[in-house]
Amino acid sequence: MTKTYHLLTGLHFALCTLAMIWPGALIANRIEPTVLGLPFLFFWYILWMLALFVGMWVAYVIRHGGSRHD
Amino acid sequence: MTDSLIVVGITLTYLALVLWVGLRARGQQSSSLEGYVAGGRHVGVVILFFILGAEIFSAFAFLGAPGWSYQHGAPAFYILAYLSLVPITIWAMGPRVAELGRAKGYLTQGDMIADHYQSRPLGILAGVIGVLALVPYLTIQIAGAGLLFQAATDGLIPFWLGALLAFVVVAAYVFCSGLNGIGWTNLVQGIMMIVIAWFLGLSISERLYGGVGEMFSQIQLTMPEYLTMPGATGMNWGYFSTAVLVSAFGGAMWPHLFMKFYSADSGKTLRKVSVFYPLYAYLLVPLLFIGFAGILVFADDPLARADTVLLRMVMDVANFSPWVIGLMLSGALAAAMSTGANLAHTAAIVLVRDVAGPTLMKGASEKAVVSATRWSVLGLSLIAYLFALANPASLVLLLLGAYGLIVQLFPMVLGALFMPRLRRTSVMAGALVGSLAYLLMEFAFSSPLGWHAGVWAMLLNVGVVAAWQYLGRASRDGHPVPSH
Repeated sequence: MTKTYHLLTGLHFALCTLAMIWPGALIANRIEPTVLGLPFLFFWYILWMLALFVGMWVAYVIRHGGSRHD
Repeated sequence: MTDSLIVVGITLTYLALVLWVGLRARGQQSSSLEGYVAGGRHVGVVILFFILGAEIFSAFAFLGAPGWSYQHGAPAFYILAYLSLVPITIWAMGPRVAELGRAKGYLTQGDMIADHYQSRPLGILAGVIGVLALVPYLTIQIAGAGLLFQAATDGLIPFWLGALLAFVVVAAYVFCSGLNGIGWTNLVQGIMMIVIAWFLGLSISERLYGGVGEMFSQIQLTMPEYLTMPGATGMNWGYFSTAVLVSAFGGAMWPHLFMKFYSADSGKTLRKVSVFYPLYAYLLVPLLFIGFAGILVFADDPLARADTVLLRMVMDVANFSPWVIGLMLSGALAAAMSTGANLAHTAAIVLVRDVAGPTLMKGASEKAVVSATRWSVLGLSLIAYLFALANPASLVLLLLGAYGLIVQLFPMVLGALFMPRLRRTSVMAGALVGSLAYLLMEFAFSSPLGWHAGVWAMLLNVGVVAAWQYLGRASRDGHPVPSH
């Protein structure tokens, strides 16, 4: 499990990073559609901040949750 | 006049509250060095979250961030990106730093580097770079507090007095209570910042435009270039992306962030903090709204200084009552003071332990070291205050230079944590070449492709380390670092 675990967390980190810089953010570089009143590019950053949090939370629960030790 | 008195009254009440909370934390710790510096390594997740968060959100959050969205538009999202990516480094590196610190009694970056590479001069070098980088950073917080006071009270409290008030409070509780004082006050200051930021961001767009969505629709109609990259000032993706990377991954080399890794009660606590860290970046979202709101308001008559946009919006445009202005000032001061407290605490420890420890204070007792650290908090705060009075503007340049330099410690620190085969000569050569290249690009030549100079310097640094490792292996003249 550890090898897959490290690979997946690494991939998640890389994906979130690339989504917020070139080239990932290129696909979101537009105003329409607006979401929650925000221009799409603004919403894109709000979304990936949340994605990073959710991914890290899952990784945390898998590794440190329950009775498992570090 | 009476309005300004209300503003001053609210703010002084807030400062008194912070001072009371900070001094109260004193009774809860032992007086050992470990207690004063690292909170006895028993700082739990809630307090650590606010310590780490509050030191990232400085005067810049209330002045610079809305300034960026007002001046550039979409490139301001760089701040959201890098802040939410910072926890990746904490997640990957923090638990190992905490573990080594606990096992070997490290309290600073210099401790770890000097011990791992068996080289005192390398530790002193890291300490000197740390102090040189931290003092201008502290100065900017003090100057920020002075400017805020002066503007929000219409000059009733002048710059010199405002800066002095804020930092007498900070120096007092850091002097007396060390890291525990910082933890409890940052809890108060963090809550203050969040509430004020969201209140201002939402109510300003509501008052002027009838809501956030309505505000962006109006900007889209008249000035759509602000809402997508490259923004109103034409910032290219290369600079944007490399600036995000340098700030997000290099930022963890700042001694005041790095040293907090030692204070965690476990690696698990650090991981838990990093999980919630991206959420803290949401604090900045409403502050960006305020900058966007200013784009149309000041379209015909642009502000001379973009980073005054929040102050101008709150005081001149939105017509808030003096009570709100007083709370705004308290929230913004909270951001400047909580960062300032961390910086003063860290700079004093690095100065006494890494720089004076192996030289002037060799063999001093622990009691003498704690006392020297306390007095250094006052001394360094005073120096930063005098710098702030002299000329705050030129210091931004100094800080930029310091940032690029502190990042050059990255390979050295990674080597100490994860790569035991890296030799002292390799990391030293890499750091020297990287720093020199950074300074040349920042002050003499322009950076290739318009990228952030820190990325090029970093690539060069890593390249030199790799080449030195390879050559050293071939000629067998380098001595491998003794294994632990």
